[in-house]
Amino acid sequence: MATAFLTVDDVSQVFPLDGGGQYVALKDIDLEIAEGEFISLIGHSGCGKSTLLNLLAGLSQASSGGILINGRQVSEPGPDRMVVFQNYSLLPWQTVRQNIALAVNTVMRDASEAERRERVERNISRVGLAHAADKLPAELSGGMKQRVAIARALAIEPKLLLLDEPFGALDALTRGNLQQQLMQICQEAGVTTVMVTHDVDEALLLSDRVICLTNGPAAGIGQILKVNLPRPRQRLEVMEHPDYYRLRSELIGFLQQQRRLKQRQQAISVAAGPAEPEAEPEAEASPVATAPQKLRIGYLPGLDIAPLAMALERGFFADAGLTVLPMSFNRWQQLEEKLQLGELDLAITSATTPLALTLGLRGQPAWPAITPMTVTRNGNALCLARRFIDLDVRDLRSLAARLNGREWPVRLAIAQKGSMQELLLRHWLASGGINPERDIEFHTLSPMAMQAALLAGEIDGFIAGRYRVAKAVEAELAYVVATDHDIWRGHPEKVLTCNEGWAATHDQALLRFCAALMRGGQLCDDGGQHDGLVDLLSRPQWLGNDAAAALQRQFDLGSGQPSGQRLPLPCYHSDRAHVANGAEGAWILTQFSRWGWSSFPSNRLELLSQVYRNDLCDQALELAGFAALRPERQPIAMADGRPFDQDDPLTYLRGQPFSGAAAVDTVTLPPAAASRPLAAR
Amino acid sequence: MTAITPTTRRRRTSALRRLNPGLRAFMPYLICIGGFLVAWQALSLVLGVARLPGPINVITETWDPYISQPFFDDGGTSKGLGWQILISLQRVALGYGLAAVIGIAIGGLLGLNRFIGKGLDPVIQVLRTVPPLAWFPISLMVFQDANSSAIFVIFITAIWPIIINTAVGIREIPQDYTNVARVLRLRKGAYIRNIVIPATVPYVFTGLRISVGLAWLAIVAAEMLKADGGIGYFIWDAYNAGGDSSSSQIILAILYVGLVGLALDRLVAWAGRVIAKGGN
Repeated sequence: MATAFLTVDDVSQVFPLDGGGQYVALKDIDLEIAEGEFISLIGHSGCGKSTLLNLLAGLSQASSGGILINGRQVSEPGPDRMVVFQNYSLLPWQTVRQNIALAVNTVMRDASEAERRERVERNISRVGLAHAADKLPAELSGGMKQRVAIARALAIEPKLLLLDEPFGALDALTRGNLQQQLMQICQEAGVTTVMVTHDVDEALLLSDRVICLTNGPAAGIGQILKVNLPRPRQRLEVMEHPDYYRLRSELIGFLQQQRRLKQRQQAISVAAGPAEPEAEPEAEASPVATAPQKLRIGYLPGLDIAPLAMALERGFFADAGLTVLPMSFNRWQQLEEKLQLGELDLAITSATTPLALTLGLRGQPAWPAITPMTVTRNGNALCLARRFIDLDVRDLRSLAARLNGREWPVRLAIAQKGSMQELLLRHWLASGGINPERDIEFHTLSPMAMQAALLAGEIDGFIAGRYRVAKAVEAELAYVVATDHDIWRGHPEKVLTCNEGWAATHDQALLRFCAALMRGGQLCDDGGQHDGLVDLLSRPQWLGNDAAAALQRQFDLGSGQPSGQRLPLPCYHSDRAHVANGAEGAWILTQFSRWGWSSFPSNRLELLSQVYRNDLCDQALELAGFAALRPERQPIAMADGRPFDQDDPLTYLRGQPFSGAAAVDTVTLPPAAASRPLAAR
Repeated sequence: MTAITPTTRRRRTSALRRLNPGLRAFMPYLICIGGFLVAWQALSLVLGVARLPGPINVITETWDPYISQPFFDDGGTSKGLGWQILISLQRVALGYGLAAVIGIAIGGLLGLNRFIGKGLDPVIQVLRTVPPLAWFPISLMVFQDANSSAIFVIFITAIWPIIINTAVGIREIPQDYTNVARVLRLRKGAYIRNIVIPATVPYVFTGLRISVGLAWLAIVAAEMLKADGGIGYFIWDAYNAGGDSSSSQIILAILYVGLVGLALDRLVAWAGRVIAKGGN
């Protein structure tokens, strides 16, 4: 936006509850509104729409964050931000004229008597109420009262007009007429307007942008919809516009998804029964009264497990009253099976796994998985066998040139089908014009077997974590052609995954686990702990002696040329690493759809807010004593220069090379109640 | 229910319909009040006229001079019932007028200032439950004068509902109106004039209406204890005189007290309606 007239910066609103505790109405709202824009706020009742409007009006103060208008902080109500209240708020003992005059006389004290009177009359006739100027509100119909309220608001020429469900109580015919009038008036006056509504058609007819709020508590912005219908708009013409029904179904879809989420949360909280009878680990000094809770966590060896190793080593889990049993696996498939059987409580998995399990990719039954936090970001690299260096393959362009006209595909190994690594690899290849379906042969191998396969010439290269790649480079088998930085810097690599129902019944244990893991992650990112980390990971139960090499090697990338680039280390804590970010999930969904593994879910927001539990992440951060993180709304920057906007994933998807005709379909989410169908037997 | 067949029901409705509409509206009163009077007369016959005069005895025994000449004045305290009522009303007017003025002022203060409102609430809650006559001895000691004491009792009885209702009225001003005031940045004076007063008037009149009833109750009681003249004095005097017609005089005076109380109540209610016109 060129000029931000109004800025809502990271606003949260918390209300204290009567019985102690607090209710988080709004959480981390970020919004910029340009001058003259018409914005609608839409969402289910109780989602904090009116709370946000009151904050904009200055009638209440945000618990945190700020609201700026023309660069000035809103700290109290004022006539530059006039509100049209839900129930009109006309003074019943004053006539129409007196009501408007009170506003005009109060706000425009400097104007002359005649000028003020003229302004009152002009605004009365603007809304067509000259005949009723001397009537009391009680003698007017609802529609007329609303017109008076609008006239009163416009008469004092506010910079910002705030409307709280202005037409909610009116019959359809009156509402239609008033909407049209309001639109004309706002356009003539050029006033910036924010309207709360729950009427989809009203929002589309009037707005330039529709802001969709998610369910409370802790409501946030779920989606922002631009309404690029031509102005001036006429109700009937708008409805015939080709974009109208797409926008409308998008909005209705959003509201339906929110409703289903609410029902789902209720179902889970009923199934989970009363809260766990666990003592909060508040006083660290006091011994935890209850018996330590056992948590079984699965992982595949790699640098991604450093936070787990660190937290165990430092006793963070024990401090939180948890006994954590780490279980190592060789293959991702085994780990997923054990997780689904309930033999594992938690797992450190690829960032794609929670969505893949929930969607039931590759014909598996859908299994409701969630992720409360991201464990690591970055840390991947693609290496090729050294013979490619003699073919002068040094980057994406030379690889593409080399592949062009070759008859046989390049064989690249991945650790898991549908993993984040595969998505990154495919994305990178495709951005250079290489069709991964035609030009590449993917081999799924255990990460431990990759180096041997490379040596045996069974594969031409592989994408894996720094640990594996560094070993191959060290053995002079391979060299690095691309790292995360060439694809998506800061991408989520490993996340914590567990069952949705399990998380609901073990929420306290899960939060404490996450908090301890976060503290472990912080130590791993701490340069001063580096040697300690190397020592720790070199122990046989983790990575063994090879870890030292992987961690300590500073790079020439194995290509024989000095390079400023280093093989990136995973990011464990800094740069907002822990956020469980649904926007990243949206990107993953576009890639699932791009490669034909699933259709793009039309109810993606429902799916994402069910799987990406940033609320748990926030609570765990608080428990660990870290500042809250929030997913950012700005588009995600990618190395290929095509930023990903979570509010418009389909346009992004259709603009991707080799994406084909992406199918959009509603995904049926696995039922919430069936938390562990397999283990129940 | 089953006994009433359709035919009988039809006959009944048609019997009612034959009456003219004006009379039909009065039928319930006519029948019920008539029934009450008949029961009273019957009770009087059972108990004996000397102990409880029936309605007919009351009218015949008090017709002259009490009903026929409400405004006779034989000097001293021997006055017609009209005069007695006027004396009482005068006292009520003074005490109640004071209570209204001071009560609204205090109530307004308590309503507008949360601190004082909270701090004084226990005091008000305790004092308002004190029965009117309990104030009488202390006011006699303070004022040393029966008339002033009676006025004070009225005042202290009537003031509580006015204070409480005014304060509640101000606190209950709908958020919508105060929001309007905040958004427009109305100044204090304009806020009180345009919003507080109009929004509170209905509450104040509820208080005033309760108070006028209480004041009228209190004056009769106070005058019975110690006063020169007034309707309460008249009742007590008639009882002490113990003549043949004293029971009838007392009953007549009670009837007047009730009618005047009703009239006062209606008067205040009407005034409230007129003043609060557009309001709630």
